Amino acid sequence: MTTSAILLYVDVWIVLCFYGYLLKIKKRIGFQLGMNISIVMGGMAALLSGVLLIIQFPFHFTFITMISTVAGLTVGAFFGLLFDYQTFVTGLTNGIIIGLMSPMIGTVIEMPSMFIIFLHGFFVFSLLTIFHSIKRS
Amino acid sequence: MLLIIFLFIWNLIDLSSVYWLFKKKHRLFDDRFSTTMCMAITMISSFALALYLKLLLPVNQSGFYLVPIIVGIFIGLLFGGFIQSPALLTGIYNGIMGSIMGMMFGAVLRNPALCNIPIESVAMIESNIVSLAIFTACSHALVSQFIRYSFKV
Repeated sequence: MTTSAILLYVDVWIVLCFYGYLLKIKKRIGFQLGMNISIVMGGMAALLSGVLLIIQFPFHFTFITMISTVAGLTVGAFFGLLFDYQTFVTGLTNGIIIGLMSPMIGTVIEMPSMFIIFLHGFFVFSLLTIFHSIKRS
Repeated sequence: MLLIIFLFIWNLIDLSSVYWLFKKKHRLFDDRFSTTMCMAITMISSFALALYLKLLLPVNQSGFYLVPIIVGIFIGLLFGGFIQSPALLTGIYNGIMGSIMGMMFGAVLRNPALCNIPIESVAMIESNIVSLAIFTACSHALVSQFIRYSFKV
């Protein structure tokens, strides 16, 4: 169970570093890509925080739902504020919905380690896709 | 139950105020803005209303199981109907998505054993339902406040 805490810490640092990277080059990104980045990052932050926290503390469903919702809300809102007001509203709403859903996924899975590995592979794949499309624009 | 009816009415008032603002001002903005705002308000309000309906309607009668989805489709049609077909598609899609998720959330809150959540006693289930319903209502109020602010600017 310590691995999920370490993975959560690493994910927080990945999101912060990606935010700093986007802060430097936000002039080059159009609104379409900005909206997609805000949706993906808010949703992934809510999903990862919900699943990892409910595996770590299985007896606190209510608090973890609130924490993951607030995490998705803040990450979506901050990534959206880099670009536009509409991007801000979209990222915030998407973060709320996925954050309310994500602890339920964490409780029903049967093989947690495999699911966490799959989830991180998905996260890294979406980050690589975002980097590729930033380079192309 | 009275608290959930109160939250339902609160969110309905919020939703109708956003609807009147949308109806009054939708000619002033471009298509992209209207589509984005339609997507946001449809998703969160169909989620919240489906959650309350799932909590309020009786469990044993299976005839009510389609009511939250119909409410979601209706909200999507209502907000998507202002503009052309892309917004209609976005509205209906997000309405169905949000209402199915809200139904699932309501079912899990009512019977936590569905998701292997270790909450056993009735009082814990009640306090769980109340706190998460209040939280959902507050986030709905937050999103609709942001949308109203965006129409005023």
